[in-house]
Amino acid sequence: MEQETFAEFGVADEGKSAEIPAKPPKKRFKASLREELVGTALASIPLVGFAIFALVPLVTALAMAFFKMKGFGFDGAKWVGFGNFATIFKDPIFWKSIPNTLIFAIGTLVSQVLALLVAYFLSREIKGRKVFRMIYFMPYVCSVVALTLMWKTIFNTNYGILNQILGKSGENAINWFSPNLYRSTVIFMGVWSGMGYGILLYTAALTNVNKSCVEAAKIDGANAFRVFWSVVLPSISPTSFYLLVTGVIGALQAFAVQNLLGVSPDNQDVTIVYYMYRRMLEYSGTMGEASASAFVLAILILIVTVAQFLVSKFWVKEDV
Amino acid sequence: MFDETKQMNSMKPAENNAPAENDEFNKKLRRSRAEKIAGKVGVYAFLIIYAILILLPFLIVLLTSIKSAAAVQKNTFEIIPSDGFTFDAYKVVFTYHPIRSEHFPLLIRGFFNTILYVVPPTVIGLFTSALSAYAFSKLRFRAKKWMYSIMLGTMMIPGTIMMVSQYSLYDSIGWTETPLPLMIPGMFGAAACVFFMRQFFTGIPDSIIEAAKLDGLGFLGTFFRIMVPLSMPALLAQGILGFVGGYNDYLGPLIYIHDANMKTLQIALRTLVSERGGDEPNVTMAASIVALLPTLIIYFFAQKYFIEGIVTSGLKQ
Repeated sequence: MEQETFAEFGVADEGKSAEIPAKPPKKRFKASLREELVGTALASIPLVGFAIFALVPLVTALAMAFFKMKGFGFDGAKWVGFGNFATIFKDPIFWKSIPNTLIFAIGTLVSQVLALLVAYFLSREIKGRKVFRMIYFMPYVCSVVALTLMWKTIFNTNYGILNQILGKSGENAINWFSPNLYRSTVIFMGVWSGMGYGILLYTAALTNVNKSCVEAAKIDGANAFRVFWSVVLPSISPTSFYLLVTGVIGALQAFAVQNLLGVSPDNQDVTIVYYMYRRMLEYSGTMGEASASAFVLAILILIVTVAQFLVSKFWVKEDV
Repeated sequence: MFDETKQMNSMKPAENNAPAENDEFNKKLRRSRAEKIAGKVGVYAFLIIYAILILLPFLIVLLTSIKSAAAVQKNTFEIIPSDGFTFDAYKVVFTYHPIRSEHFPLLIRGFFNTILYVVPPTVIGLFTSALSAYAFSKLRFRAKKWMYSIMLGTMMIPGTIMMVSQYSLYDSIGWTETPLPLMIPGMFGAAACVFFMRQFFTGIPDSIIEAAKLDGLGFLGTFFRIMVPLSMPALLAQGILGFVGGYNDYLGPLIYIHDANMKTLQIALRTLVSERGGDEPNVTMAASIVALLPTLIIYFFAQKYFIEGIVTSGLKQ
């Protein structure tokens, strides 16, 4: 044991190493082979999971998009080429689902700008910062089901608390889920519950802004707005970019709120994922079409994300 | 801020002896101080109004949940209802089940189902993620670099695009209508968690690992005896995030489980509300409170871990 550890550190007794000169390198090789194997094995556990539960489905998803599926599996499936794509492209509801999804994604931008504003105020010398931060982050830990049901009740036309407070009842009652208001209501709900995450990341980023740069700008006579615009904003741009990319990817997969509200004014609630969900579980034998729409969603997300990365070169400053 | 201006006030005259300029300076100072105070009040007002905007809906929910069905359906809003407060809605929440012969209430069953479906994958997944992160941060093997790149790449793939084919896959092996699709994949660990833990493990000095090796600890021994105890806060942060994420999950259980007795809390909540909440908003609100309470309690007690976990995994990417 002792010899082994010494050999590893290359301070083995000279006489002994002369006797068996090949031993130390051999030992080292053995130890590193073990490390190689253990390391690869341990590191690969999540990748094995990914291969089984994501890679296999990704490949079958690609295949399914080109088959007319009878059930959930490939039994009795018929090759239809781009037939499934033709079907969904002829479906007016599918065409509505894309602008629907994109409009809801606007909420992400609104919530990000507001989050930055709140975080900026919060990063000043504020008493009770922790309490504020705790309150602002609360909606983020709550389940989307409970929050959506909460807002649905508050916004209810007949007995909703909002209409009660506004004194709108009977004939004058405001239908917050009418075709004109539905989108704004849903975006409001999304901004309300989504801002906490942005606030948290932005407050952390703002505390990391180089103080001496800010001071230097102030000495040069820059006003508060100018300091914010030219010094603070560029140095938190990596955080802005991260929030934007992840936020938009999440928004393009919107489903839960629309599904839970259970109202469909002019099909405005049908997002792309909602459309997939319907094709998959509510209609029968349309798994192929569902896969085709998943394919379209993947392309859409890819285009939007790549575009964001390309544009980021002009406004994201790494290592300021 | 106050001290700062005071200090400046006492410092400035000493440097600047001209009385006229001094007067001018004091005027400016007074004005800027007034502006600063006004700004400060504005900031506080903004922060407080926003805090109220967040808290008010929760208060309304709480208030509505302890009103009677009749009081809730009135056209006017009363803080204290004329027929007093009642726990009727909670009675419904804690007794209701769509299958009449079923004695175990839907929401309670949902709660225990959720714990059953979420805790094992969270614990095992945390363990496998940490093992993988340990390998990525402290062990030397040739494939490390590209394996890590692939791992990071998997985080970029949006989950919903696999929804359809995953359903097909699970259906072909008989996993639909069971909780297995919600449990098994998570047990292999999550890339985001590996990323976070690797970040943390890298901060543990190599000299400790070398010392452990000298003491005769193997790779797994080092992991369990050195890495795990040293990174308890990070593990806890990831464990809490994982649990809350699973507890709040909606799409997965919605797709895979339809049997009333197997539903998770979130889906049970949805079922309860669609069957009873329509004309009894107080029941909807009471059920929502019951569903929210566990995560809110965890949040209040483990806030530090929550916030650290989210900030570190969000900022470093």
